[in-house]
Amino acid sequence: MLQLPSNLVARRLVPFALPSLPSAPLPSPREAHLWCVKPDELKDASLLQEYMKILSPCEKENVLSVKGEVLQKCALLSRVLVRTTLARCLWIEGLSSGCLFHARLDTDYRINPRSFKFKKNRFGKPEVEWQHNDVGFLPSLQFNVSHTSSLIACGITVNDPIGIDVEEKQRRPNANVLSLASRYFSPPEVQYLKSLVDSDSQKIEFIKLWTLKEAYVKALGRGFSGAPFRKFTIRFETRGDLVSEKLKTGEFRIAVEPVSDHETLTANWHFALAEITGSHFAAICMGIDENDTGKEHDLLKLKVWKTLPYMEDECLSDSEAVIKISGLS
Amino acid sequence: MATLSAAFASWKPAASFINQTKGLTYRAKVASIGTSRLNFPSSRSSRLHIRCAAKPEIVNKVLEIVKRQLALSNETSLAPESKFSEIGADSLDTVEIVMCLEEEFSISIDEDNSQNINTIQDAADLIDQLVQQKTEVA
Repeated sequence: MLQLPSNLVARRLVPFALPSLPSAPLPSPREAHLWCVKPDELKDASLLQEYMKILSPCEKENVLSVKGEVLQKCALLSRVLVRTTLARCLWIEGLSSGCLFHARLDTDYRINPRSFKFKKNRFGKPEVEWQHNDVGFLPSLQFNVSHTSSLIACGITVNDPIGIDVEEKQRRPNANVLSLASRYFSPPEVQYLKSLVDSDSQKIEFIKLWTLKEAYVKALGRGFSGAPFRKFTIRFETRGDLVSEKLKTGEFRIAVEPVSDHETLTANWHFALAEITGSHFAAICMGIDENDTGKEHDLLKLKVWKTLPYMEDECLSDSEAVIKISGLS
Repeated sequence: MATLSAAFASWKPAASFINQTKGLTYRAKVASIGTSRLNFPSSRSSRLHIRCAAKPEIVNKVLEIVKRQLALSNETSLAPESKFSEIGADSLDTVEIVMCLEEEFSISIDEDNSQNINTIQDAADLIDQLVQQKTEVA
């Protein structure tokens, strides 16, 4: 039985059914879409129960095995966010009732979030298990999830491998950050942190580096042993060709450099760092096909939404709620 | 958790570990068996480590360090069987916990070893093993 957090509003007396899920555009090339949920905004017990119905039996079991109301709610929201984020972009106009997709569709020819199947790659990274009917019809959506207790985020792209990591801006490690960095980061990164004069800057930059490194490892999808943190360096590089007022606010390009010619670590990955709702850092790493020689070939595009799935969506891009730090056009 | 099977070659009591108050501690000879782990972060190339249960004081120390790192209240039930993935420890918590444990016990836990740690008990067992190895080498 799902533990209902004790602070939730009592169940509604009227039976509650989910409205239809609004659609969203597909990410463009070199673009990531980030959908975020703040667990504290979920206050309705009926909604929690309806969310459980979206999950697969296996996911339900996993959620129920999590100890504690708050963590259980986060685990549930995490799965709901993935399923709804994918489903939003996948709707097909004008299909006949004889279509292969028919069984998976809600009304309005939208893919039902319940219908997704997931698998793990051989290193444990979760992926969509496209049904054989989907291939050639549906875009190959890639996704990655990250959560903190106060924010859960799901990033999606079309085709490009993606890794994301979110962290509270205020997160301060208990341990000394230079000790942590010496133990886990590469030597150039330790030097970078040491070069910062005040300890609060050191902590903030540590958190930024941490999220970027996590995003990279998750994008690679090879597990932490496949890309140990010590074996690659995240660098902030000034863009010599950038002549605009952006340079004054310290726009840097973020690049990854393997420590040695480790064959599993490849360098055609692009990074972005943004601040979300003034409360969190979000790091995004995407594997871009090097044949794509777009005009602004270094920068990624990002669109951000805050959502309570089925209840409320709010586009945060181009508002103060999203502050681009690096790597974004 | 992997089950002990007849696959490991032999085992015998190691006299040096006889503990007067707690009885014999058996040291199992470990056979290398390729096995895949199902858990985080997964890797195909792990060896099966058969460890005996760690001393209670090690388990308690691990519990204390984890509680402190995750700022868990005393009312929060944390048992040796608790899985790190289920108690809200994210990757930064995990590395802080590992570093704390390394400092507390003066050992070094490498990435390969830490991949096999899923529960508090696993962590305590590994620490016990590493501490014993250190004592043997000295």
